[in-house]
Amino acid sequence: MAISRRRLLASGASLGALSVSDAVFAPVVAQNKPVRIGVLAPRSGIAAAPGENGIRATEWAAQRFNAEGGIAGRKIELVIEEESSPKDTIERFSKLVQQEKVDCVQGIISTGVGLALGPVVEEARALTIYWDGTTQDGVDEKIPNPRFLFRSTDNECEAIMSSLLTLKHWKGKFATVAGINPDYSYGRNNMAAFVALLKRFNIEHKVVTEQWPKVGTMDLTSHVAALKAAKPDLIFSSLLFADLPVFMKQAHAAGLTEGTKLVFPAAGWQHTLMKKEFTPEGMLFGHNTLYFANPNASALAKEFVSWYEKTYKDYPEWEADRAYFAIASYKAAVEKAAKTKNGSWPSQNDVIDAMSGLSVESLGGKGSWRKDHIAEQTFVQGFTTHKNNYDFVTLGTFETMFSTDLQKPPGANFWEWIKTAQFKV
Amino acid sequence: MKSASALTVALMGTAALGLLPYVLAPYYIGLLVPFFGYAIALLGFNLLFGYTGLLSFGHAMFLGLGAYGAAVIAGVLGVKSFELVLLGVIMATMIIALPIGFVCVRYTGIFFGMLTLAFGMLFHSFLFKFYHLTGGDSGMRVPRMSILGFEFAGYNKIEFLAGPFYFYCLALLVVAGFIMWRIVHSPFGLHLRTIRDNAHKAESLGVYVHGLRLAAFVISAAFGAAGGAILGLRVGLADPELVYWTQSGQLVFMAVLGGFSNFFGPIVGALTFTLLQDQLRSVTEYWRFILGVVLAVIVIGFPEGVAGLAVDLRRRLAGKPA
Amino acid sequence: MSAFANILAGGVFHAAVLFLVAAGLQLVFGVQKIINLACGSFYALGAYFGITFIGYATQLGVTPWLILPGLIVSGILLGFLGPPIERMLRCVYDRDDSFQLLLTFALVLMFQDVFKFFWGANPRSLDNAYLIYGTVSAGDFSVPVYNVLVIAAAILTAAALGAFLQRTNYGRILRATAENRGMAEALGVNVRRIYSVVFTLGAVLGTTAGALVVPTAAASLDMAIEFVVEAFAVVVIGGLGSMRGALAGALIVGMIRALAIVFYPELEVLAIYLIVICILLLRPSGLFGRALA
Repeated sequence: MAISRRRLLASGASLGALSVSDAVFAPVVAQNKPVRIGVLAPRSGIAAAPGENGIRATEWAAQRFNAEGGIAGRKIELVIEEESSPKDTIERFSKLVQQEKVDCVQGIISTGVGLALGPVVEEARALTIYWDGTTQDGVDEKIPNPRFLFRSTDNECEAIMSSLLTLKHWKGKFATVAGINPDYSYGRNNMAAFVALLKRFNIEHKVVTEQWPKVGTMDLTSHVAALKAAKPDLIFSSLLFADLPVFMKQAHAAGLTEGTKLVFPAAGWQHTLMKKEFTPEGMLFGHNTLYFANPNASALAKEFVSWYEKTYKDYPEWEADRAYFAIASYKAAVEKAAKTKNGSWPSQNDVIDAMSGLSVESLGGKGSWRKDHIAEQTFVQGFTTHKNNYDFVTLGTFETMFSTDLQKPPGANFWEWIKTAQFKV
Repeated sequence: MKSASALTVALMGTAALGLLPYVLAPYYIGLLVPFFGYAIALLGFNLLFGYTGLLSFGHAMFLGLGAYGAAVIAGVLGVKSFELVLLGVIMATMIIALPIGFVCVRYTGIFFGMLTLAFGMLFHSFLFKFYHLTGGDSGMRVPRMSILGFEFAGYNKIEFLAGPFYFYCLALLVVAGFIMWRIVHSPFGLHLRTIRDNAHKAESLGVYVHGLRLAAFVISAAFGAAGGAILGLRVGLADPELVYWTQSGQLVFMAVLGGFSNFFGPIVGALTFTLLQDQLRSVTEYWRFILGVVLAVIVIGFPEGVAGLAVDLRRRLAGKPA
Repeated sequence: MSAFANILAGGVFHAAVLFLVAAGLQLVFGVQKIINLACGSFYALGAYFGITFIGYATQLGVTPWLILPGLIVSGILLGFLGPPIERMLRCVYDRDDSFQLLLTFALVLMFQDVFKFFWGANPRSLDNAYLIYGTVSAGDFSVPVYNVLVIAAAILTAAALGAFLQRTNYGRILRATAENRGMAEALGVNVRRIYSVVFTLGAVLGTTAGALVVPTAAASLDMAIEFVVEAFAVVVIGGLGSMRGALAGALIVGMIRALAIVFYPELEVLAIYLIVICILLLRPSGLFGRALA
C-alpha cells in the first residue's frame, strides 16, 4: 500500500503532537514489544465478504495507528485466524489466546459461533470484542453480564429502526404485508420484531405470506412467484447474503418491485451488488453502522472510504465499521487505562474497566460500550435513489438513529420492552 | 495384525498420549480432546468401511446425534453424569440407526455412499428447520458434566478439558479400542470381512449378509455417538454444522489418511489430520486446497495411509521382504 | 391462474438447470461408474468463469445480445479441464469405488480455494444481462425470455443427448462400454479415450449449467457445496445411470420445490428429502434406474 507523501507528512505532524502531549503515557514497559491483536473472521463461505471487509478495516486502522505511534506507544501486530464452524473457531480462539498469546481478540460475525464462543471467552479470561456476534439465543440474552466479552448491538436494532421509519413515512399507506427472510435466527428475529412493532402501534395489517428461503439460496423465482400471488402492499426482508441481490434481480424481472413498498433493513451488506437496473428507488434500505456515502461523515470515514475504493476498487459496508470500532475502542481503552497508571502498561482488568462506558468516534458515527458490554452505535437507514455516479443504489434521504433508541436496555425482556418502550417515531 | 504386536502398539500409544500433557503446551492438549472424539467415532466408522467395505458419506450424522443427545440429556433433562449421558446417546443413536441402516445397507459402493449422504443432509435440514426443538442455527447448549462422579468444580472449563477430561477421554479411547478389537477379531468380524471381500460367495455360504451389515452399521453408529458426545462437551454446543456432508467427508479423509486397512489406522489418521489442519491454518488461508491435495496424493499414491507407511517402514527396517 | 403459471415457469426453469447437471452426472456414472462429488464445483466454476468471460467479451465490444451463446461457449471452453481431471481419476479406476468418490471429494476441497483465489470473497454477478431479451407477459403472468431460452436449451440438450446415445455409432459404443467394459475393450474399443470424452462431456454439461444460471442469480463461494445435495436428490429419484431418470428427477425436484414454496413454505427443503425417502422405500433403484444387486 503506497503511502502518499502528504499522508506521511500528516502522520509526521500528528506524531509530533503526540510526542508532546502524550509523553505522560508513553509506557515504561518494553516499547519495542508490539501489542498483538488476534482477528477471527470468516474467510470462506457465505460470510467471507463481510469478513474481508472487517479484516481490511482492521488492517487499515492498525497501519494508521502505527503511523501515529501505535497504542500507547506500542506498535500493533495483527494475527489473523479464520472463523468457520463453532468447534473450529473455538480452537482457533484457543490458539490465539494460549499459543499466540494475543492481548485482545476481535472478530466474529456468525451468531451461532458467537453463542458457542461466549462461555469459552469467559473461561479463558481473554478480552474479546465481537464485531457482529451476539450471545443471544433468539432474542434472549444468554450471558447477561460477561466480564471479558464485549458484544455488538442486538440483531434486532436494524429491524426496529426499519419498523419505526416505516411507521413514520408509510403509516396508513399499506394494508397487506409479506415477509421474505433467511431461514435462521437472524431472519426470524427481524421479522418478529417488525411485526411486533406494527402490533404495538396498532397498525392494521395482514401478513399475507411469509417466505423462509434457505440461507444463501440462489433460486428465488418460486418465492417471488409466491409473493406475487399474495399481492402484498409492503414486503419486509432481512435477506443479507448473496441471495439478496439475486432476489432483487428475480423480483424485478417478475415485476414485483413496482408499486410495492420495500423494507430491507440489512441490505447494506450487499450494497454494491444492488444495481440500479433492478433495485428501485424509494426502497427503505438499511446500512446499519456504516453508510459509505454519508455526506455528514467524519473526515476519518471519508478518508477510509476513499482509501478502500482506491485499494480494492470497491466500497465498504458496515462490517468495516464494526471492525474499526472494535480496534479503536480497544486503543482508547488501553490509553485511558494507561493514563490512570501514569504511563505503565495497564493490565487486562484495567482495560476492561476503562472500556465500560467508553465512547469513541467510529467510522459510521459515535459508538460506545454499555456497562453490560453491549455496544451502542449509530445506525443509518434511508430511501434509495438512482441519482448518483455509481452503478448501484445509494440513499437519497436518510435518517440517523442511535442504538439507545433501538435496542432493549440491559436485562430487559425483548417482548416486554417492545410493548412498553417509548419509541421515537 | 498379531495380537502381541497390536498390544505393544496400543500400550506405547497410550503411554505416549498419557505423557503428552507433561510435554506439550496446553493449547495442543485442548486440541487433542476432539481428536479422542474423532478417534472413537472413526473406530466405529472403520468397522463399516475397512472391515465391511461400506463407505458412508453421512457418518457425521451419528456424531451429531451424540452431541445433540448430550445437549438433551444433560442440558434439558439435567442428567449431569457423563457416563449416563454416554449410555443414553449410544442407545438412542443405535435405535435411530436401525431403520436408516435397514434402508441403506441393501446397497453397496457408491449408492450406499449417496444414500448415507442424503440421510445426513436430511438430519441437517431437520436440525435447521425445527428450531423450536433444536435451536436451529444457534444449536443447543451442552453443559459441563461430571466424570466418574467427580465434578472438578475447582477447575474452570479450560483446565478441566486439558486435565481430568483429557485422561478420561484417553481411557475411553482405550476401552473403545479394546471393544472394537474384540468385535473385529470375533467370528462376527470374520463374517464382515468375508462379506466385504465377496458378498455373493458369503451369501452362498449361508452368511446373513443384510443382517450382519446392519449390525455393523448400528455398532458404528454407537461409536459415532460416543465420539459426538465428547465433541459436544468440548465445544459446549451442539450445532447443525457438525452434521453437514463435508464433515462426513472429513471423517472419511481421516480414515483414509491413517490407513483404513489397519486397525490403528483411523486413530493415527485422526491425530495426523487434527495436527495437520491446525498447522496449515496458521500458515495459510488456502489450507482447504492443501488438504485436498494431501487427500488426492494419499488416495492415488499411498492408499494404505500413514499406518501403512509405518508398517512398510518397520518391515523394511526389520529386513523382511515386502 | 397467472400465479400458477408463474410458479410453473419458476419450477421448470430450476428443473432445466438441474437436468443439465444431472445429465452430466448420469452420463459419467452410466459409463464410468463414477459419482462426481465435484459436480457442484464444476457448476460453480461455470458460473464464475461465465462472468469473467462475458465481462471480457463486453470489454472487447461484443454486443450484449450474444450473452446466451456467449455463456454456452464459456461453459464449453471449460471442457479443457475434463481430460486432466479424468486422467487423475484414472489412477484409481481399478480400485474400489470408494476411492473414486474420495478423489472427487479431494477435488471439492481444492476447488473451494481456487474460487476464493481467483474470484475473491465477494459474490459475483452479471448485471444488465437478465432482461436483455425482454419478458413474455400475458396479464399478470410474466417470464423473462432468457428463462424460456434456457429451458429451450435444456430440452434441446436432452433431445441431442438422447439422439446421440441412441442413434449414433459413437453413442452405441458408449452404451456398450457402460454395459460391459471388458467386452467392449475386447472388441477393440479404446475405452480410455471413451472415458476421457464422457467425463469431459459430463463436466461441460455441469459448467454450462452454471454459466447459464448466472444472469438470473450470482456466483458465490458456497454454491458448489450446496448444489451437490440437490443434484444427488435428482439422481437418486430418477435412478442412477438413466438419462430419462435425470429428466424425470429434475422435473420432480424442480416442481415439488416450487409448489412447496408457494403452498407450504415451511416444508420447502424437507419436501425433497421426503420424496427421496419415499422413492427409496417404494422403488429403491429410482424411477428409471436399473435394479441393483
